[in-house]
Amino acid sequence: MTEIQTLHILNKSPEHPRFARCLSIAGPADTILLIENGVLGLGAASDRASGKVMVLAPDMAARGVNSSAELAEIIDYERMVELTTRAQQVISW
Amino acid sequence: MSTLIVIDQPPYGSWAGREALDMAFSLAAFDQPVSLLFCGAGVNWLRKGQEPGTIRQKSVEKNLAAAPIFGVEALLADGDDCKRYGLEAEQLLDGVTLVQADSQLFTNYSHTAFAG
Repeated sequence: MTEIQTLHILNKSPEHPRFARCLSIAGPADTILLIENGVLGLGAASDRASGKVMVLAPDMAARGVNSSAELAEIIDYERMVELTTRAQQVISW
Repeated sequence: MSTLIVIDQPPYGSWAGREALDMAFSLAAFDQPVSLLFCGAGVNWLRKGQEPGTIRQKSVEKNLAAAPIFGVEALLADGDDCKRYGLEAEQLLDGVTLVQADSQLFTNYSHTAFAG
């Protein structure tokens, strides 16, 4: 299992200033996990992020958002918990 | 293992910041190392001379004065954002340290949580 430098948990939609702030701060060794309204920014995040992008399946399903595996890795709650244990730091936006 | 609570929204308009303050004070009261960072419009929390009685609210300035008593390690503010809101050093509450709120700063904390 590879270590994650920083796990960015992003729950804001793309119009929120923190969405852009998160994307500008996250480096190539970081992972951005989109949850809640953050899943609405899947396209924007996967375009602009220099690191890995993941997205929480239940929040996508709730909003009727679909994605392909090329855009982001789709994960469940268990995987989210596991990610938090692997990250050196966690930033909750 | 230290936590950074970030307040980036102005005082009085919403409850998000006060909830963040409660979170920080709770952590500190249970001896968990915690600091507070004010950035963006959040720097307006730190302005001296707030009189929110005029809008029937309690002063966040008084809340913040309790931070050292609870054991909050530091009150940090982004220097550039203070400038943007016309806040000179002498207009800030006592005990505030000016920093640059960037990814370098966040590496000092195992957990960083934005309020609201």
